[in-house]
Amino acid sequence: MTIAKNGRLALLAFALIFISTLSVLLARRLNMGPMSPVPAWRTFGPENAAIQIYEFTDFACPACRGASETLTETLRVYGGDIRLRFKHYPLIHIHPWSMHAAAYSDCAGEQGKFTEYAELLFATQENWGEAKEEPAIFGELALKLKLDWPKMQACANSPEAIRRVKLDMAEGDLKGVNATPTFFINGKRSVGGGQLLDKVRNFDNLLGKKR
Amino acid sequence: MNERTNFKEILGLLARLAVGGVFVYSGVIKAMSPAEEFAYAIESYKVIGAGPALWAAYAVPWIELYAGLLLAFGIFTRRSALFIAAMLVFFELLLGQAWLRHLPITSCGCFGSAGSNSIGREFMQNLALLVLLWPAARSRRLSADETVGADV
Repeated sequence: MTIAKNGRLALLAFALIFISTLSVLLARRLNMGPMSPVPAWRTFGPENAAIQIYEFTDFACPACRGASETLTETLRVYGGDIRLRFKHYPLIHIHPWSMHAAAYSDCAGEQGKFTEYAELLFATQENWGEAKEEPAIFGELALKLKLDWPKMQACANSPEAIRRVKLDMAEGDLKGVNATPTFFINGKRSVGGGQLLDKVRNFDNLLGKKR
Repeated sequence: MNERTNFKEILGLLARLAVGGVFVYSGVIKAMSPAEEFAYAIESYKVIGAGPALWAAYAVPWIELYAGLLLAFGIFTRRSALFIAAMLVFFELLLGQAWLRHLPITSCGCFGSAGSNSIGREFMQNLALLVLLWPAARSRRLSADETVGADV
């Protein structure tokens, strides 16, 4: 008798475990989980803005460069209505120096010049994206912006800087990011500059304003 | 059923739902975040290395979720409560050693990166959960154990 009762309980336990596992995996796929915090230098716009954008980008990706220009223009137009958070998603299997670029950009951010360094990385991506050896241009760009290059090098090799980039990548993987640039605009996914532009065209409706 | 028994039953039910709920929340919030994030928190306790920490980060959120659900639904209530008690004691040992060694822990990893209390506060919170487990383990009101009529 007890065995039958325990059997029923075990069956119930298995059903509960199965359903909960399925629900969590589905919620993950639907991007319902929270996004982890982003360093201040990669965050733009007011915290309570109506439009919340997370951008997963690779500095060596040409499409990301185009989308970055769209985003810069969008930020200029909608300014205070947008909160943009930048996340690294270097495609290291096709862009060997993306990881380095991401770490250097964060280290430039620590010195207060993330945006400027990121813009230069995008502008010069053809010069370093597929280089055979570590490109000297990373240092040249830093000197151009009057950044402390030795400090940036030490920073980019620190476990903290590498961990920051890897966590962004892991988060991207968890949310099913497999192409760059990928945006999450108020939780909804857009992949590539075209989809971004489509969403941007709808911002007026979203904000309930006429510009 | 007298008033005293009734009060005990309700207290037990509430305790079961509270502890189970905390474990379900903690498990879900971590299972929905990258394992690497939780692994880093585990590493900061300086008890195990990066490799095992990552494996632990993959497993622990799911174990918390399942254990919490079993307790909340009252399935094998006593055994679930005992299992959760063992986990809490283990967490207390981890927090205690970190506190004694003055480890610079910025995130305890208890509820993912959504928020983190001080080690002392987490220690006290776990202690409170341990206390609540006593009435929770004896609770049969609205439990699957009661429905099935099992004596577990």
